Amino acid sequence: MRTAATPPEKTSATQEFLDNLRQLPRNLKDAWFRLGRLPESEREESQATFHNLFLHLHSVRVHLRTLEPSLTLGLGLMATFSFLVLVVTGLLLMIYYKPSTALAYQSMKDIHYVVATGRFIRNIHRWAAHIMVIAVFAHMARVFFTASYKKPREFNWLVGLGLLVLTLALSFTGYLLPYDQLAYWATTIGANIANSPRELTDALGITPYFDPGGFQKRLLLGANTVGEDSLIRFYVLHVFILPLLLVILLSVHFWRIRKDGGLARPEDPAGGLAEWGGKLHRVFEPLATKTYGLMAVVRGRRPPVNRGPEGTVMSWPHLLWAELAVLMLTIAVTLALSFYIDAPLKEIANPAVPENPAKAPWYFLGLQELVSYSAFMGGLVIPTIAVIGLALIPFLDRRPGGEGIWFGMPGERDVAWQSLLFGLACTVGLLAFTVNFGWLRNWFPEIHQLWIIAINPGSILVLLFAGWSLWVLKRKDSVRLAAVALFTCFLVGFVVLTYFATVHRGPNWQFYWRPSQWPVH
Amino acid sequence: MKDPSRLYRWMLLLTSLVALGFLLAAAVRENLLAEWQQRQREYRKLLAEKATDTRGRELLRNFRIELRQVSVPALGAVDRCVSCHVGIDDPRMTDVPQPYRLHPVEILEHHPVDRYGCTICHQGQGAATNFHEAKAEDAYWDYPLLPRELTQASCMTCHDANRLPPQDVALVLEGMQLYEQKSCGSCHKLGGRGGALGPALDNEGQKTKHQLVLTNLKPPYTTWRWHQAHFRDPAGIVPGSQMKNPTVTEREALALTAYMLSLRQRDVPESYLAPDKIAQKFRALSPRPLPAEQLYRMYCFACHGDGTYGRWEKTFQRFLPAIRGTLAATATREYLETQIAQGRPGTQMPPWHLQAGGLLPEEITALVDYLRASPAAWTARGSAARSAPVARGDATRGQMLFLRNCAGCHGVAGVGGVAPELANPVFLRAADDSFLATTIRNGRAATAMPAFQRPDGAGLSEAEIADIIAFLRSLAPPSQQTTQAQEKSRAGGSP
Repeated sequence: MRTAATPPEKTSATQEFLDNLRQLPRNLKDAWFRLGRLPESEREESQATFHNLFLHLHSVRVHLRTLEPSLTLGLGLMATFSFLVLVVTGLLLMIYYKPSTALAYQSMKDIHYVVATGRFIRNIHRWAAHIMVIAVFAHMARVFFTASYKKPREFNWLVGLGLLVLTLALSFTGYLLPYDQLAYWATTIGANIANSPRELTDALGITPYFDPGGFQKRLLLGANTVGEDSLIRFYVLHVFILPLLLVILLSVHFWRIRKDGGLARPEDPAGGLAEWGGKLHRVFEPLATKTYGLMAVVRGRRPPVNRGPEGTVMSWPHLLWAELAVLMLTIAVTLALSFYIDAPLKEIANPAVPENPAKAPWYFLGLQELVSYSAFMGGLVIPTIAVIGLALIPFLDRRPGGEGIWFGMPGERDVAWQSLLFGLACTVGLLAFTVNFGWLRNWFPEIHQLWIIAINPGSILVLLFAGWSLWVLKRKDSVRLAAVALFTCFLVGFVVLTYFATVHRGPNWQFYWRPSQWPVH
Repeated sequence: MKDPSRLYRWMLLLTSLVALGFLLAAAVRENLLAEWQQRQREYRKLLAEKATDTRGRELLRNFRIELRQVSVPALGAVDRCVSCHVGIDDPRMTDVPQPYRLHPVEILEHHPVDRYGCTICHQGQGAATNFHEAKAEDAYWDYPLLPRELTQASCMTCHDANRLPPQDVALVLEGMQLYEQKSCGSCHKLGGRGGALGPALDNEGQKTKHQLVLTNLKPPYTTWRWHQAHFRDPAGIVPGSQMKNPTVTEREALALTAYMLSLRQRDVPESYLAPDKIAQKFRALSPRPLPAEQLYRMYCFACHGDGTYGRWEKTFQRFLPAIRGTLAATATREYLETQIAQGRPGTQMPPWHLQAGGLLPEEITALVDYLRASPAAWTARGSAARSAPVARGDATRGQMLFLRNCAGCHGVAGVGGVAPELANPVFLRAADDSFLATTIRNGRAATAMPAFQRPDGAGLSEAEIADIIAFLRSLAPPSQQTTQAQEKSRAGGSP
């Protein structure tokens, strides 16, 4: 190859080869780090972001509001990073785990006792899973209370809802894999929740002809009871199908953030002064005759530097620092929990010795509490209403305003507080009432099951919440406030029911103040 | 302008340090401070102390600190106990503390560790690598480490207890005798033989604590502690239990517990079974009849005592009849055999035929012989007057007489009260008229049933007795077969 810079004297091919060999380390480094050093100018910083497959998910510049810790609390990132931790530890566990009823439990024991730091890795996997579920729920609440689902982000809200469902499914399918008593009976309870439409079909007497509950259960378990077929099914779902779907949806989720213009924030007034971080800033005024594309920025024709006209800073390094901090925070919390608290592993699964109480994974315990009143209502109708209700939020509340600000609409904070108290009073009150006085079946033992399906603490709770929300809609004349009322109640109900079923439900689903009061059995 | 990512950089530094700290701590804890590693380090010191000859020095030189395990696929065992019990096969390790001590040699001689592992005899969680979880009394594991004195219960997995040196399995043998003496078989089945009131005990040793009622037991919860407490006071451990208190001493309770723990239906490859165990299993397929006295002791005694007195049983809330003496003398052989074979439905008396209680027909015959061979004093009076009334009675008149004379104890319409239920189909089918008549006339000695006809003729007349029998017969429509049998016996009985 000849170029103008090539010196005229001829070097032998051997010499050239040796030279290249000598320069190999440097050239490798250049190929890897194309800039060869940390970026120094904003132009180089934008290239660092833009020329990297993983980093170019970010925009080159990021709004200062996005970097405010109080806006997002890092919850979405935390969920993502715990997923990352789960993938890594999950792969390590996969190397030792054997998905067969005869071997699964023994392989868990080997992971505990023989695999180097196996128990620690399993603990990390377990804790990261809990953190992911919590972070996903909290992230959803954050997005809701900062009104970040509003146009044009409706679609991403739906994608997020899909991610929530996938997260729960991933966690639930992982529950069975150790094949211990906890796994076996929690999965059995989960499968029975899937079976819950049977309560209605049984009450109507049409189960022999139309049995969606039984179908769901068999689809989930691959058999009528938890066993070999269920285990392999859950395994494939857990290690392949669901993570794949989650990665796809997650990519869409991130991509939509970019396409929807970054994290939701209030519109800056064009050409005026805007307030963020307690100070007034001049806002960049675009010229009507000019196009300010991202490519233009990268090519070097860009707005004035070092002034932050739109209140933005470079993503490299600022956003990167923030993300790394959340990553390490997630990891540190997970490690600390895993160091002190072991993931449970009970006796080997024994279909002949039921756990009492047999409890579903904690995030389904709210549902199990409702199922204990009516399987059909608690296991199918109420969750369906909840998911559909959540999905419809951005389509029913379309008036812009308050995006990216916690409780951004006037009166929102008050409504949220009132709804919190209302939801708390309703849920706790109903639970206390039921625990003390029982329900229809205790008062009228002969009553038809259809009555109980229709009237039970779960359905009454839904009616109370809906009524409250409608009242707010009427009184405050604002769809957003009605949505806040409903969502807050839903959240409170979920938390209280989950707490109640986790702590206060003992053997035979009896009420106890503390688990230490449970009778041994 | 304030650096917007300053907070995050500090946070990153802090969290990274925390994460690094925990990673290091975990690495140290898992790789350097594991319990078995510390044990092996101490064991190496012991080896060094004892390395006085060439072989000792060689053992010390070759000693590596590593996880050790015995894998026995045939028994489904991977036992890592040897990771701490490193010295079990080193004959020099007799004067050292556990876990380094030599295992009793005479046992290891016949049960090499690499073929048997540890948990087949000792139970416990073999996979665990720390003592707390290996002992597993307070861990999630179904079969915790057996206490030393109860380990002998495991021998019966592969041996017939009666063929082992008696001093080695003394507890189990004692328990086995107590089981017979205390007549446990009256209510519990074992090997297909026994009563039906309590649960079958064939797999009692494989039960986990979760299958037992632990409410009234104090921790630690183990099956053997449950058994011991339960043998001392069944109803105190299982509220509402009908089990008779076997009234045993602490030592006897322990022996019974050892016997219970030895009852395991565990699938062990045949190559592991001692020949006597195979012979025992084979014998169980075709049982030989036992002597009647032993049978009585094993299967009847708990409820009937020695059978000469009827008594009120509080837990059952009913009278248990005296089955020797008058009854055995008055009733026909068929009646007694039917009662034993079919039991008395609706009462606590179960059927004892081969498919139910597991008694061979010849054993039932032998039992009847045994019952009838009662002291002469009881039999003389009954057998002398054994005859059916001549006349046919009238059921309507009989009903009046029954209400006046019998219903107080036997209940209106014979449904039973403090006295047995007479409307019972098995009873009515098996009892012939002369048995009924004789019993009414003479009563039943040593029970609450009085004589209704005195030797001087006072009391019920023969006709009235016939009326009562006619009424009793109307209570349950007899099957055709019994009707024919009665016709025949009546025809034969009348002169």
